[in-house]
Amino acid sequence: MLAVGDSTRLEIILHTKRYKNKIIKQPRIESNEGQPDKTVKIQAEILIQPDSTYPIVISPYKLNISQFGEKIRDEMTFKIQNVSDQDLKATIVDIPDELFEVKIPDKIKAGKTAEAVLKLREGSLEQSFEKTFTIELNDEAKTRFSIPVHRAMRLP
Amino acid sequence: MKKSVILIVLILGLVLSFSLVQGAPRLTIPETLFDFGYAPQNAKLTHVFWLHSTGDDTLKIIRVKPG
Repeated sequence: MLAVGDSTRLEIILHTKRYKNKIIKQPRIESNEGQPDKTVKIQAEILIQPDSTYPIVISPYKLNISQFGEKIRDEMTFKIQNVSDQDLKATIVDIPDELFEVKIPDKIKAGKTAEAVLKLREGSLEQSFEKTFTIELNDEAKTRFSIPVHRAMRLP
Repeated sequence: MKKSVILIVLILGLVLSFSLVQGAPRLTIPETLFDFGYAPQNAKLTHVFWLHSTGDDTLKIIRVKPG
């Protein structure tokens, strides 16, 4: 129930399973507004070889920041290799801000590798989650990459 | 005949004014498309869409049907 003027969030989860190439999903939202239902649309290009992409290679392409013990693990680094012949700038276009932040260098020079850092927010240290953040490059195609982030907590 | 027409117009006017007073729920979704771009297999991709109630009556989200 949403009072007039109120808002709510709708989280859509897309499991990429063993999909190949482009997938599009269009969930329908049924409400008392009446027919037709409103829809949202999500799309992704599923990589069969995520370790050999262009114009960048993200390594690791899935981030696992799980904690199996009392020692707090709240930060991890990952690499972004620019395999193109032009300098690139990566911008974060979607991130679950409440869980973590990601710092990416301003520019990744052609042929070079840059280091990025994912840091958990204080409030998410006790949580297990599977989320994604998405970056967009400033190349002509405005190429996007989505990086899954997994955290499991197991204390002794 | 003339009386019937006047009666119909009056009824229509009453129905219309009643529906205006009642108001109607309205669902507004500012962003309806999200492109994840490239993503690996066997991963859960997540994105949050915002739903706003912008009508004159309470909005009920009944269910979300997977696409």
